[in-house]
Amino acid sequence: MLTEKKDKTGLFIGAVCLAVLYVFLILLDNVIPQNSFTLLLVPVLKKGAIYSLVCVSMNLLNGFTGLFSLGQAGFMMLGGYAYAIFSIPKDQHAAVYQYFDGGLIQFSIPEALSNVLGESAGAIIGSIICIMIAGIVAAAFAALIGIPVLRLKSDYLAIATLGFAEILRAIFQWSGLGPITNGSNLLRKYTSLSAIKIGSLKLATFFPFFIAGISIALIVLLINSSYGRAFKAIRDDEIAAEAMGINLFRHKMLSFVISSFFAGVGGALLAMFQTTIQATPFKSAMTYELLLIVVIGGIGSISGSCIGAFLFIACNEWWLRFLDNGSFMGMSVPFFRDGFRKVVFSVIIMVIVLFFSKGIMGDREISFAGLARRIRGSKPSGGKEAPAK
Amino acid sequence: MKKVLAIVLTVAMVLALTACGGGTGKASGGDVVKIGVYEPQSGDNGAGGKQEILGMQYANSVQPTVKIGGKEYKVELVYADNESSNDKAVSAASQLIGAGCSVILGSYGSGVSIAASDTFLEAGIPAIGVTCTNPQVTEGNSHYFRICFLDPFQGTVMANFAKATFGAKTAYCLGQLGNDYDQGLINYFKQAAEALGMKVTTEAFPEGNSDFTSYLTNAKNAGADVIFAPCSTSYAQLIIEQSATQGVSIPLLAGDTWDSNVILNAAAGKNLDIEVSTFYQEGANADFESSFKAWINGDSTNLANNGGNDTLAAVSVMGYDAYFTALAAMEKAGSIAAADIMKALPDTTYTGITGEIKFDATGDAERDSAVIKKVNTKDAAWEFVAVQGVN
Repeated sequence: MLTEKKDKTGLFIGAVCLAVLYVFLILLDNVIPQNSFTLLLVPVLKKGAIYSLVCVSMNLLNGFTGLFSLGQAGFMMLGGYAYAIFSIPKDQHAAVYQYFDGGLIQFSIPEALSNVLGESAGAIIGSIICIMIAGIVAAAFAALIGIPVLRLKSDYLAIATLGFAEILRAIFQWSGLGPITNGSNLLRKYTSLSAIKIGSLKLATFFPFFIAGISIALIVLLINSSYGRAFKAIRDDEIAAEAMGINLFRHKMLSFVISSFFAGVGGALLAMFQTTIQATPFKSAMTYELLLIVVIGGIGSISGSCIGAFLFIACNEWWLRFLDNGSFMGMSVPFFRDGFRKVVFSVIIMVIVLFFSKGIMGDREISFAGLARRIRGSKPSGGKEAPAK
Repeated sequence: MKKVLAIVLTVAMVLALTACGGGTGKASGGDVVKIGVYEPQSGDNGAGGKQEILGMQYANSVQPTVKIGGKEYKVELVYADNESSNDKAVSAASQLIGAGCSVILGSYGSGVSIAASDTFLEAGIPAIGVTCTNPQVTEGNSHYFRICFLDPFQGTVMANFAKATFGAKTAYCLGQLGNDYDQGLINYFKQAAEALGMKVTTEAFPEGNSDFTSYLTNAKNAGADVIFAPCSTSYAQLIIEQSATQGVSIPLLAGDTWDSNVILNAAAGKNLDIEVSTFYQEGANADFESSFKAWINGDSTNLANNGGNDTLAAVSVMGYDAYFTALAAMEKAGSIAAADIMKALPDTTYTGITGEIKFDATGDAERDSAVIKKVNTKDAAWEFVAVQGVN
């Protein structure tokens, strides 16, 4: 009885924090005037939200099911391409597929819906449908690949998934598939984040948070369900899990497919954020970046992955940029020049990995119930305060 | 341990934030007009990006002020590194917009320019492409202009040149898989070459490839009269090296990326015929060059950014012209507001070192000829060959 009450308070605080965050994001897009601070904050927030989702999906596989997979970038690429291909407006095809006679797929879901429902509703619903398609395409490929690959264990699985992602990238760049993937060239002019608005109410920052929020909530629900307990059992001891009656292959497959689905969704959001997409950046380096965020945040911690993603993106694209500018707080520092940021960044990462190998959160979560207890003045819990995402 | 980490991260964050604030606060106000330099300073195209920046920096040192509407403004260059990577494009572009730039120059590499294009469009800031040759940069955009020629033009020029100079009947094209520049240029070369009655074989090598022997053998077996390989300089070095050791004496043709001292150094002392199309030939304007070289040699950082010697790259000269084109647009607009400059740009003309710059309806400079130059392998220097048009 008592625990139930506490849980409800926690849920309530969580919901309030989330609502405050969402309202803040909408204000940020519409009311708060643009200055040099918000202009840098907004891309970091958007990309951070997208990376949070992808890292949580990777954590589902690596941290909760114990499957060391390195195919995440490949699934993101699938998602990003699926999204872009189905949302390029008809009259832009000739320009985008300039070497391939306008391409093969000659329709755009957001555009078709815009004709029926009006521009803003069409763009929002159309892009959500395309995001779903992106997830489904990634999941379908995962199901196909999972059949042979998931019979492998640990290192072998990692090598096989890594190889898969690389092969997929090469296939996407092959000019034979050009009418669909545009070969080595960029896909562009599809529905991007700036097209997501209701009337004049811009939702460009809100949208990735909204989609990522729902997706992460679904993953959390999955982890806390009986499936999630089965995943953890597999992670801790496969033989014991099998002895308990858990169908190993089925559960591994489930985890792999769901993780890939959300990686695909993340890839679609990344495509929306970037406004152009090309297969080249989706190489193994991107998977390592994601893996790094998962490790920094804490393997097996959802909130850790989210915090890690925001910290990583903010450091990489914003806070450490001053290291390249040649001056620090008005002083001129001669060795602060191009490329120095990368050096500092690498050192920070090495320190974290060497001395804080459990990451920021370990395998704990931010618990709003714990926060509620602390506010009421009872024994403080170990949770660290952070935004509710 | 966790607490220490949390404190360290917080301190880092606070320091960084104050640094950001300090950096932007200091420059605003007063009579300063800011030009955003959106160029790669790291990544695959870092070397080329730095050379392009050198041109702008030199131009800035030549004319650090501009008179707009009877008022003298100091011109400040604001830099953002796009890391040659499309996924860093948006935040680098936002950084420039946040700094309050009136006009953007760049970038080396068309992909990053296309990726940042919509960000500049939303902010209403005009951009001038310096050496991005992909048609998609300006196509359908009213805010993106460019002062160089385009890939369809460059591809056709090289095909004509191959036919006219080498009497080529068979051409072998080699580009990197997944690189839009290579594949785009090869595509246009192929179209033009086939129209001229040549037989064209195309192959693509994967990223990170370091053994080109099989590709060179294929070129030989195909009976190629020329090899067209407009890939990035890191691969170009390997191709040059390996065709020399294999004794493949087929002439190597390439686009503007090969116009770099990296190529000169790689080809020095080898029995090879390497010819590239580019924007500018060293030696065309002696006064300009000697003072530019003196400026480069006067500072060790500049010298390092130029690859260790004072050979002028065409991209540097283009960067120089881009800076003055931006100033001309500001003078014409009579204002430092981005919107006014955008309105003035289509009618802006400027006669620069690389010729007259005048924009057509798409926003591309009207260029009707390219410079072809070849490597003098004995002296490791560029030698002027011809000015080639499309006809």
